Amino acid sequence: MSLSNDAPRFRAGVILALFVMVAAPALLVIYQSVLDAPFFDDNVRFSLEAFRFVLTDPEFYRAFWTTTLYAFGMVLVAVPLGGILAFLITRTDLKGRKWLEPIVLVPMFLSSIVLAFGYTVSVGPSGFVTIAFKSIFGSAPWSIYTLPGIILIGGLSHVPTVYLYVASAMRRLPSDLEEAARTAGAGIWRVSLDVTLPMVLPALVFSAALNLLLGFETFGIPLVLGDPNGILVLTTYIYKVNTIFGAPTYQVMAAVTVFLILITLPLVFIQRRLLRHARRFAAVGGKGARTNLLKLGTTGQAIALSLIGLWLLVSVFFPVGGIVLRAFVETWGEGIKLTEQLTLANFRAVFEIPSLSRGILNTILLAGFGGAIAVAFYLLVGLAGHRNRGMSGTLLDYSVLLPRALPGLIVGLTFFWLFLFVPFLIPLRTTLISLLIAYIIVGLSYGLRIIQSTLLQVAPELEESARITGANVYRSWRDVVIPLVKPGLAGAWAMIMIVFLREYATGVYLMSSGTEVIGSLMVSLLTSGAMDQIAALSFISIALTAVGLTLALRLGAKIHD
Amino acid sequence: MLTRRHFLAATGALVSATAAGVAPSWSQGVPSGYPADYKDLVEKAVKEGAVSIYTSTDDVQGRPLIEAFKAAFPGIRVDYNDLGTNGAYNRVISESAAKQVGSDIVWTSAMDLQMVLVSKGQAETYKSPEIAHLPAWANYNDSLYATSVEPVAIMYNKSQLGALKPPQTRAELIAFLNTNKDALKGRVASFDPEKSGTGFLFFNNDARTTKDTWDLVKAFGGTDPKVYGSSGAMREKISSGEHWIAFNVIGSYAIEWAKKNSNLGVILTPDHAAAFSRVANISKGAPHPAAARIFLDFLLSQKGQTAMAGSGAPAIRTDVTEGLNIAKLNEMAGGKLKPIPVSAALLEGADPKNRAEFFQKWKQALRG
Repeated sequence: MSLSNDAPRFRAGVILALFVMVAAPALLVIYQSVLDAPFFDDNVRFSLEAFRFVLTDPEFYRAFWTTTLYAFGMVLVAVPLGGILAFLITRTDLKGRKWLEPIVLVPMFLSSIVLAFGYTVSVGPSGFVTIAFKSIFGSAPWSIYTLPGIILIGGLSHVPTVYLYVASAMRRLPSDLEEAARTAGAGIWRVSLDVTLPMVLPALVFSAALNLLLGFETFGIPLVLGDPNGILVLTTYIYKVNTIFGAPTYQVMAAVTVFLILITLPLVFIQRRLLRHARRFAAVGGKGARTNLLKLGTTGQAIALSLIGLWLLVSVFFPVGGIVLRAFVETWGEGIKLTEQLTLANFRAVFEIPSLSRGILNTILLAGFGGAIAVAFYLLVGLAGHRNRGMSGTLLDYSVLLPRALPGLIVGLTFFWLFLFVPFLIPLRTTLISLLIAYIIVGLSYGLRIIQSTLLQVAPELEESARITGANVYRSWRDVVIPLVKPGLAGAWAMIMIVFLREYATGVYLMSSGTEVIGSLMVSLLTSGAMDQIAALSFISIALTAVGLTLALRLGAKIHD
Repeated sequence: MLTRRHFLAATGALVSATAAGVAPSWSQGVPSGYPADYKDLVEKAVKEGAVSIYTSTDDVQGRPLIEAFKAAFPGIRVDYNDLGTNGAYNRVISESAAKQVGSDIVWTSAMDLQMVLVSKGQAETYKSPEIAHLPAWANYNDSLYATSVEPVAIMYNKSQLGALKPPQTRAELIAFLNTNKDALKGRVASFDPEKSGTGFLFFNNDARTTKDTWDLVKAFGGTDPKVYGSSGAMREKISSGEHWIAFNVIGSYAIEWAKKNSNLGVILTPDHAAAFSRVANISKGAPHPAAARIFLDFLLSQKGQTAMAGSGAPAIRTDVTEGLNIAKLNEMAGGKLKPIPVSAALLEGADPKNRAEFFQKWKQALRG
């Protein structure tokens, strides 16, 4: 029985609405890129001048090359590490893997600006780790301001993304093949390389493609760590061309964004293909897979745990420790006794300044209530795509992935214009609703993935039996699917909350007095250099994220699907 | 910022102290020098009920001014938007094109960008009664006003610089960078003219007014130079010891930071003591025109200037005793303070062709 033709109006309506929401900013960017002035200027003309400028600017090519290195480098760091972590946590009897799992994901929940700041304070040239290391070993042989340093940090922070995909593929694998290999005398290395690895290859390739995509969109880490040294990537290049001409030149920003779209769309396409294969593949293992864990042995445990410990030290402790320290001191670095510097003044300022304390409140509102609205919206989209294999399904897939090709800063700017120039949207601009809509678009692909995987857990037989007993499709959704996925929705809500807490670029252009959010406040404070408040806000953001994560786990969030 | 925050406490006290005295002074009548019908304007402003400010002065630094204003005019709400220089410009021209002007006052440190706004007809002309207390160069056609004087300076880490004697003049700075090239590798920082409008303003003004600017940039280029988008970012790196010395930082900030951190040194070079100003204008079609005028007057008044001077933006008036003022700064710079005038010449710096030329020279010099 085919369910794909059910509720065609609902499906078409939702998918079309989503497509409009997603395509509007992209089309505005493309339109702006072929103009010679802001699109709202009275004397605006069509022109390819912006593309000519970009294509003759050596800096663009340099940024493009750096971005490519960064993206591939990041993949080289993140994919093997993420794969190993996933293997150790899902397929072996590693000690403490239950509580390791949420910790392993922490870097994913921190905004990259926060991460990068944390790193400067801990392992920068005057960082506390660097100073301690120097005092013991004489010198510290690393620099986080070089391209390899930035790539390493970017790669480490994306390990969780790989982990998520690979772990979920590994969980679906039945263990009989591995066991057979073990019984035949293969060592654990052999088993993982010859048996497990080939079976999760699609997931590995998929997460590599995803990370490549994320690498091209990366902003926070190169902005904080690369900028002072003149290391430019495409997104920071966009930031720069905005100021270099004096007045902002949107056409050039738009032209660079068009290039980003051109680079990332093929990646989205590849991802889609891979995902299809991965799904088909995973179905082989299917239900009832009983996993017997591989025994690591004492040496194995020790090696595995120290590897994970080292990774946690570098990816969680260093950045978070840096932020925590900076939030409670005024000065740090060489020759400074930190104990003499301890203060709560940074926080006092944050709570005294109306816009900053309002920003905290707004962020909580946006993440909490906004997150719930977003989940409801994603559920509608998820249902529209649920067991839908028509053309509209393809349109849906692209609509979902298109925002990935647009940097958050640009999404925010185009939404600012949409809310300014589209008549019925005007009253919403200076409310949190405008931010929420932009956030929903930015969080779309991540949020929908969580919802979709929750929906897929409902066995089709249940829906089918509802239909056979006479329920129409809406009724089968209302009475069968939604009640069954309710616990999943609560978890999804908590996850979306964390994604919204972390967001920073989207609100930069959209927020105004009364609708400030923490992430974007940090970006605007960065332009004036108010590091004390940035550190305090980062700390608060981390604390809120921790609350969100605890809530997510309590609510049984399926971090993995 | 460190000092801004500390000044908060001080100015907070100051504000509450003056608040009691200010409010009645308005109700009793018009201050001396103000037109007789000013009371009507105040009444109108209170009726409008709010004033909306687009600024690049962050909330921490702007707060004392806002608090002082609210104390003086309790009926007027202040919507304070820290948008950065580009953000403010973007919002003004976008909103004007959409016929939804949201700003009453635009108040940023991008002197050139704001002059562009004025030249595009985005500013309202208004003769402030405070004009008499301002230097002539601080008022452009009654449409753009300088509201502060903030000199450029050298900032350095005393213990890190160690035996190296910090340069006292521009000429010494060039020699210093050249002689200690190797010791200073990766240790010298400055403003990034490409990413920061303020950075561009400083270096472009340098290039136009002094002969040795490109020698300086060349010397800077020899030290594996580090460039930043804000003085605060440089303070962080200088005080942590990651960098040792920075030039063309906003001196008024540096002076306040040095008061809190004895390891920071600040030098105003008498042979080159340029200063920029935060500039303010009233938006064309401002939604609260009367409140906009009241706010601009307050910003230029002794009370407003006192509040700002207390949080690190030195007063443009000589009758302000809090913090620094233009006269004190001039004294510190050996009588050679050279503020960048608010004039149409600023438009040259905003012209894309001139900028492209500047950046070409900048990159060339930096490469050595």
